Amino acid sequence: MDIQLTNDEIGRYSRHLTLPQVGMAGQKKMKAARVLLIGAGGLGSPLGLYLGAAGIGHLGIMDHDTVDVSNLHRQVAHGTKDAGRPKVESIKDTITNINPLIEVTTYQERLTRDNALRIFQDYDVIVDGSDNFATRYLTNDAAFFAQKPLVYGSIFMFEGQITVFHPHGGGPCYRCLYSSPPPAALVPS
Amino acid sequence: MATETVKLIMGIGKTLTGRLLLFDALRMSFKDVKLKRNTDCELCGDKPSIKELIDYVAFCDVQMPKVKEPELNLAEVEISPQEFRGILDSGKKLTVLDVREPFEWDIAHIPPARLTPLSQFDNFIAELNPEEDIYLYCYKGKRSITALKKLKAKGFTKLKSVAGGIDRYAQEVDPDMPRY
Repeated sequence: MDIQLTNDEIGRYSRHLTLPQVGMAGQKKMKAARVLLIGAGGLGSPLGLYLGAAGIGHLGIMDHDTVDVSNLHRQVAHGTKDAGRPKVESIKDTITNINPLIEVTTYQERLTRDNALRIFQDYDVIVDGSDNFATRYLTNDAAFFAQKPLVYGSIFMFEGQITVFHPHGGGPCYRCLYSSPPPAALVPS
Repeated sequence: MATETVKLIMGIGKTLTGRLLLFDALRMSFKDVKLKRNTDCELCGDKPSIKELIDYVAFCDVQMPKVKEPELNLAEVEISPQEFRGILDSGKKLTVLDVREPFEWDIAHIPPARLTPLSQFDNFIAELNPEEDIYLYCYKGKRSITALKKLKAKGFTKLKSVAGGIDRYAQEVDPDMPRY
């Protein structure tokens, strides 16, 4: 790998570099990595902050929505002054403020069957922080067709689920777990 | 999720591939269950039927099994928040039912309503007087229609539902009322 760390980066990531499991080799892999985050809400906010701070070299963030005051108590990438702004712009500002050494690409649009594969092919790992079943199935299927590992998480009230779907790496996919969505009337908004 | 992402990228540790981690913040407990690839999976199974991206909105628009219920003309049973306020102010004898849940009632409600949550609505029906005008409201006007249908099925006739619920009422009639 022909990726080098600058002195600034070595200084910033020094506590990673001294972890034997990470080291220069691991941090260079992070710098070379391209991660796509679906959603900049409750899950996407902390994900974006942590992945950006940790030095993922290229972070793509997709969200069509704007910041509402009722988001702020949990969607910690956005501030009071961001109300009304596109979430992708707000989270990009917050991440860039924490770590200006990485690149952030924003997609202020919904994930659709028409854009999913084209966008997914540019990334190494897909991270699902979406909040609805249609996007979850679409993300799962597109990640499968694009042969990308999918980091999956979902929350409801006080409970959460996390896994990695990676059929090409020997694991199951979302559909192995949930072959069909629940009736729309039973889905809490 | 961030840690899993970073592990995948660096190729270190053991990821949650094939395991589902369940987290319950109230019990503060973690459980991890094994997940197996489903060989019958329509996407990644041995004989997949999904070969390309599909229409996900349609796929997720799963309807509940149809239950026979009386047809309802919304225009006949709904009243605007302004009309509702007018009726309350007229001093007419009536019953107002708030069919939301207690935590919603605690945020705001419209006197002289009584709390009869939809989740326990059947228990309240026997206490209601079919001779009296009954006005129902909820958050956005959907649950009150469900409750109204239940009363109609029991033979009640003098029923009205506040269109748009307390949320529209707060916007159009009582701007001081907190919205949630």
